Order: sequence, then structure tokens, then C-alpha cells
Amino acid sequence: MEQQRVSRLQRIVRSKAFTLFVLLAVLILGFGFLSPVIKRGAMFFHSNTLKTTLQDLSIPAFLAIGAGCLMVSGSLDFSQARVGAFGGIIVAAGIQWWGLNWGAAIIIALALSAIIGLVNAILVNELKFQPFIATMAMSSVIYSVMYLVATDRTGQIQSTINFTNEGLTKIIDWNLKIGSFELPGTVLLLLAAFVVYGLLLSKTRFGRQLYLIGGNATAARLSGIDAKKTSYFLFINCSVLSGLAGIIYTGRTRQGSLLALANDQFTGMTAAILGGISFGGGSGGMGGAFLGLLVIKTFSKGLAIINVNTYLTNVLSGALLLAALTFDYFSQRSQRKRIGI
Amino acid sequence: MDKYLEFTGIGKSYPGVKALDDISFRAEGGKVLALLGENGAGKSTLLKIMSGDQQANEGTVSLSGETLSLSSPAQAIKAGISVIYQERQLIPSMSVMENVFLGALPSKNGFIDYKKLRADTVALIEEFGLPILPETPAMFLSIAHQQMVEIMKAYRRDSAVIAFDEPTAPLTDTEISTLFRIIRELRGKGKIVIYVSHRLKEIFEITDEIVVLKDGRYVATLQTSATSEPELIAAMVGRDIGDTYANLSRNEKYGDVLLEVRGLTTDMLRSVSFNIRAGEVVGFAGLVGSGRTEVMRAIFGADAIDSGEIKFDGETVKFRAPKDAIERGVALCPEDRKEQGLVLWRSIEDNIIMPVLAKLKKGIFLDPKASEDLAINEVERYSIKTPTVDKIVAELSGGNQQKVILGRWTNKLMKTKLLILDEPTKGIDVGTKAEIYQMVCDFAKQGMAVIFISSELTEVINVADRILVMHDGEIKGDLTREEATEENVLALAMSE
Ligand SMILES: Nc1ncnc2c1ncn2[C@@H]1O[C@H](COP(=O)(O)OP(=O)(O)OP(=O)(O)O)[C@@H](O)[C@H]1O
Ligand SMILES: [Mg+2]
Repeated sequence: MEQQRVSRLQRIVRSKAFTLFVLLAVLILGFGFLSPVIKRGAMFFHSNTLKTTLQDLSIPAFLAIGAGCLMVSGSLDFSQARVGAFGGIIVAAGIQWWGLNWGAAIIIALALSAIIGLVNAILVNELKFQPFIATMAMSSVIYSVMYLVATDRTGQIQSTINFTNEGLTKIIDWNLKIGSFELPGTVLLLLAAFVVYGLLLSKTRFGRQLYLIGGNATAARLSGIDAKKTSYFLFINCSVLSGLAGIIYTGRTRQGSLLALANDQFTGMTAAILGGISFGGGSGGMGGAFLGLLVIKTFSKGLAIINVNTYLTNVLSGALLLAALTFDYFSQRSQRKRIGI
Repeated sequence: MDKYLEFTGIGKSYPGVKALDDISFRAEGGKVLALLGENGAGKSTLLKIMSGDQQANEGTVSLSGETLSLSSPAQAIKAGISVIYQERQLIPSMSVMENVFLGALPSKNGFIDYKKLRADTVALIEEFGLPILPETPAMFLSIAHQQMVEIMKAYRRDSAVIAFDEPTAPLTDTEISTLFRIIRELRGKGKIVIYVSHRLKEIFEITDEIVVLKDGRYVATLQTSATSEPELIAAMVGRDIGDTYANLSRNEKYGDVLLEVRGLTTDMLRSVSFNIRAGEVVGFAGLVGSGRTEVMRAIFGADAIDSGEIKFDGETVKFRAPKDAIERGVALCPEDRKEQGLVLWRSIEDNIIMPVLAKLKKGIFLDPKASEDLAINEVERYSIKTPTVDKIVAELSGGNQQKVILGRWTNKLMKTKLLILDEPTKGIDVGTKAEIYQMVCDFAKQGMAVIFISSELTEVINVADRILVMHDGEIKGDLTREEATEENVLALAMSE
């Protein structure tokens, strides 16, 4: 049979990213035109909306990247939010109680995050725990350790540790001025991260290996792909990125908190799933995860602007996730049905 | 009047492919009808339509004059149609008995009646004469026994129509003769039996009528007793392929010993020793479970070795993972394509480039052009039936999936010195089989050593230069092609 080359346009239109892009456009236009109608004075189309939405994005973005890479390879990590909180606590306690400078505190926090990732990887690869169980257990362990760290000299547990440090604040709150618009530095960092990890997944050998492992780990091993090494990298990577998210949170709020990121516990994974990285592994990509995240955050931002209360917002966000999962389920099922397996 | 199943004007399209086009024929009760055609001819698609798994775009299926509505598998089963698929459908963690009676578990007071379930299953197992227990989870059975369980499952439904899609691919002679006994029994009961296989020998042995399909179209119906192999092949391929084995152009000169295995022992193998020279094609014969696959996996570094020594290319080697073996120039094309071979939901291209990702680099990135070229090259070499190389492998026909694995392990970037092919022609049509045999010989001519494993005895003894026969984890014989008659090999394979 004559082999046709695959056109780029075909690839794009068939992709999940395309669907998300449309969904995002609908949300933006919908909120944009409806917000003044629903609530007097509410303006979705405002330069501030963009800035704050982007700012809200940076923390779950790092979670989404870490989770997304793991999920592509058919694994997952439920300890993300706790690792982040832990990183934050270390930075806060380091600066405020232990007299470290902010750079050293950050390095220690990231190194500890990496160790947690390493332990996760050992639990999964050497002791053969299910990733779900291993990382859940890890999550509780971290929580207990955080209590120890957050116990001050008088023996009181501080659920938040406030600190002041100009250097760190300056870095975290740095903005890039483009005319009158200020682009937060953290947003630049997250965009860069998405680009780098996006390229890693879609264009490199390492990335391709992740998909093949996620698709069929046995076949991948028999084809000479080192799934173990990859798994170690992914768990450590995921933990370090979670730690980074926690540090940004801490820097922004100027406090380490035991409950930091608790709201974002599932945001990373949700964004990844919305973006087409399914739990089974082997599919999706960073572009999708980024769009998924934009959809989630645009949605919650829009609801906030038209003043929907927090509880209802949570319910509606849950509904959005359910809708996305249902859509995913049916599109996968129809694909399987079409193929007949 | 006997029952009959009638297809009228069946058409089925997939994006970019017309899998079936205006298919009409009739299958009668008390007869076994063969469906024959090249890979991708549409045989499995037709069975999937019968089983309600896929819906035809055009045409109707009727049973003894009554048009059937086949919009789901449940409906098809109710209408009296059972299909045994090419790919196994058992639930791995469930026991044999639960799998066999899935969908019809006997119950008492709302609970599953395990006593009856067990008794019924035992009766079936005895009827089939299998050495398995009703309680064993399906995943612990050999592939051959899983396949037999699959057949028991369809058999116990006592349907009017029963269709088999390449049932013997994973079976050895013992199970095949059991299967044929069952099929004859079904025929005796006046059932409508449809049988798909690429093995002409079986078709001549068990079927009464043959329907030939080509590229999704009906070609002819032939009476088995009134036709011949060449005639069948001509109808199917559209040309004469001649005598496959006699026409092979073989490698004549061997090089040095490339692989030397001494006293290889694992929990499945007992002190296996043999040598292979470069340029030699060595066949491994034996029954299922005789340890052929285990030897290969041990050499390839896929399984751990208890004791023994492997010398490869003049050096003692200890491959800790397949990766090490591949780097040294060993390639193993595995027998179970679904579990060990394919990444079903990835593209043909991804599946082909898997072991050579490192060689497809352009700076830090993969080179998309080079990798597409490599894939296209293999798709053309094996004439894999697909419009593009980015089609996901799950969408290919069974035989074409097998070709993708072959393409992967023999692609031109592999620097293979020892090529191990474990059941490489499983599900492959006759025309392509002949091409694969020639390729094997060509690899040998290029100086590769090739190990060829197949449950089809004729194939092993005709393609290989030398045949090692295994039984129960041991090598029982080492025969040249001249010495290796079917009787000799079988005697060794069953020796105690
Ligand atoms: N789900 C699908 N999506 C797209 N194309 C499909 C799908 N299923 C089958 N096809 C195509 O339909 C054609 C017929 O496939 P089918 O599986 O019926 O072949 P077959 O005769 O059973 O071949 P084989 O001998 O290899 O098993 C092939 O070209 C195949 O690629
Ligand atoms: Mg088929």
C-alpha cells in the first residue's frame, strides 16, 4: 500500500489539545460577555483578571507537570501537596528559627523533597508497592514529620510559621514590566517549565520511553527500555517540583503552613487528566495539561468574578471535573468500540 | 431442514479503510466453513459483526431466514452465536470456572452456586481432556490452556453458530487434536461452524467448504474436497507463490561459533547446552511448555539464571536486562504479541522504533523524519496494511500486528548478530510467510545467527538448517535438516 505522510494539520485537529482549546475559548468568551450581565460591575475582561489567573496558576502548574510525567508512564504520586507544604515549612523554619539565609533554606527544602521522591521510588520499584499505596503512606509520614519540624522551642506546635525575609520576597514577587502590564516572574518560570517538559515529553527519547512504558511496561522492558531508572527520575522530579510549588506558596504568603496546598491536592492530577493524560498511562502531553490547568483556573476565576460563593464554586469545579472525566470515558469507549477491543 | 447462517451484502468501513465490501454467502448447519484470506482481508471483522461487537454499515445477517439484530454481544449470544476471538478475552484474575460460565453463573438463593459451578466445569474439563483445575486463575494457565478455556466458554453455551478466529495459533498438536474432535462433534450435532485459519493443512483436515476473501471482497466458495492448495493460494493471493520451502535460497557458509550455552539451569530448565554458529538458522521444536521460550528469555536477560554459562561473540556474558543483550546485538521477537510485544495504543511508528530510540537522535531530540522513514521502510518491507504509520497498532488486523513486531526486531538500524524469533509467523498469511522464510535465510546470509521457534513442525524442519528438540526443560536431540522428519522430531519431543 502506498504510504501517506501524516499532515501536521490532521495531527493537531485530532488531538485532545484542540478540544480543550475550544473549551477554553468558550469559557473565556462566556464569562467575558456574561459577567457584566449576571452581576453589575463584574468585569471578566480586565487586565487584572489575566494577571491574577496566571499568578494562581503557578503553584498547581508545578504539581501538574510532576504528576503529568508520572501519569504518562502509568504511575502516580498522591504525596504532592504534603511535599509542597513540607518544603514550605522547612523554608519558613529555616529562615525564622534556624537562622539560615533564604538560599540555603530553599536548597535544603528541595534536597529533602528529592529524598522523599527517592523513597517513593524505592517503595514502588524495589518493594513493589502500588504507587497509590506507597505515596499515600508517604503523605502521612510527611505530615507527622512536619509536626515535629513545626514544634517550637516551648514545645508548641505552630500550624503556621510566619517569617520575614526581604531577599526571598523580592525574588518571588518580582514582575516583568511589559508596558503597563506586569507579568509575574513565577509565571515566566512556569511557562518555561511547561515548554521544557513539553519538549522533553514530545520530542526526546526519554519522553518517548515514558509513553511506551505507560503503554506496556513488559514490552518496553523487552525492547531495552530501562523502566526502573525512568521511574526513579520521575518520582524524584515530581517531588522536587512539588517542593518548589510549596516554596513559591510560602514565599508569596510569607508563612509556612501545615495545610499549604491542601486545596491543590488534586489540581495537578485533575489538570493532567483534563489534558488527556489518562490514569492508565501512555497518552496525553504537557500542552494538554497546561490547557487543562487554564480551563480549571479560568473556570474558578470566572465564578469568583461573578461572585459565586466558595462552596458553590467547589461544587461547580467538581462538576467540571466529572464532566471532563465523563467526556474522556465516552471518547475512550467509543474509540475502543470502534477498534473492537 | 438444517439451519443456515446467511450474510447478505455486508459492508463495513473504518476511517480510511473499507474492511468489508458487499459480502454475501451462506454457512450451513452440519458443516464446517473456512474463511480464508490474507492478513487484513476482513475475516476477523466479519466475525466481529456476527458477534455483535461491531456493527455493519450495510447488509444483514440472518439465521435460517430470520434477520438478526446484532447491536451488542449480548444480543448475538442470545440469538445463538458464539465467537472465539483471535485475541483472548478471559478475565485474568478470575478462576477457570468463573471464566467458563461468565454471564451464566449458576445461582442458588441469590448466591453463586459454587458446587454446581465446579461440577459443571469439571465435566467440561474432562470432556476436553485437559490437565487443569477449575479453581486456577486464568492468568496462571499457559497460553494454550487459556485458549482452550476460551473454547470451553463458547462450547458450553450450546449455540447454533460457533465461530473460531485462528484458534490454533497458540496451541500445539495435542490441543489441536482435542479441538478438532470437539469441532467434529459440533458438526455432528448439526451446528454451523465457521473456522478462520492461515494454516492450510488444518483447513483441509477439518473444513467442508471454503469462502475466500480478498481486500474485503468475496472471491469464491470452494468445496474442500474438490480443491487443492495451489488453487486456494491462487484464489487468496491472486498469484502462484510456488513451493515455499523448495524455493528458499539458503545460506551455505557458516562463520565461527557465535553463541555457546553451557549448563543453563533455571526453575524451568535443566542443564541446557548448545552452540550456534554465525550464519546458521537453528530451529527449536518441542511441545508447549517444553522450555523453548524460557531458554530464549534466559539468553536475552529477561529472566534470571540459576546456573550455567553463556558465551556470546567470544566472551562470557551476563545480561542483567534485555537492554544489555540488545546492546550486544541480540534481538528477541517475543511469542505473545499482546502482552510482551506491542504497545497497542501507540502508533506503528512508535512500536517499530522502540529498541533503536537511541539511534534516532538529532541533537537532544528524536529525529521525527528519520523515525518516520524507518517505520515506513518496515511497513513496506512487510507490506503492513495501513494508510499511515501513525495509525495505532490496536487498529490493525492480527497478522499485521505480528508484522509490526517483526519490523521492530529486524529494522535496519538494529545491529543484530543473533536474532531470536519466537513464533514469528503466528497469524501470518501464506504469502507473507513465504517472504518471512526467505528473509530469515537472507539474514543468515548476512552473517546473522537465527533461532527460529515454532509450534508448526513443518515450518521448523523446513526452514532451519539444524533442529534442536526440547522436552521438559531439556534438549533431547540435535538434528540436521536431512535427519529431521516429523516422526523423528515428534518422537524426541515426547520422549521421556
Ligand atoms: N478498529 C479498526 N480501525 C481501523 N481499521 C480497522 C479496524 N479494525 C480492522 N481494521 C482494518 O480492517 C481491515 C480488515 O481487518 P481484519 O482484522 O478483519 O483482517 P483479518 O482478515 O482478520 O486479518 P488477519 O489475518 O491479519 O487477522 C484491515 O485493513 C484492518 O487494518
Ligand atoms: Mg484476524
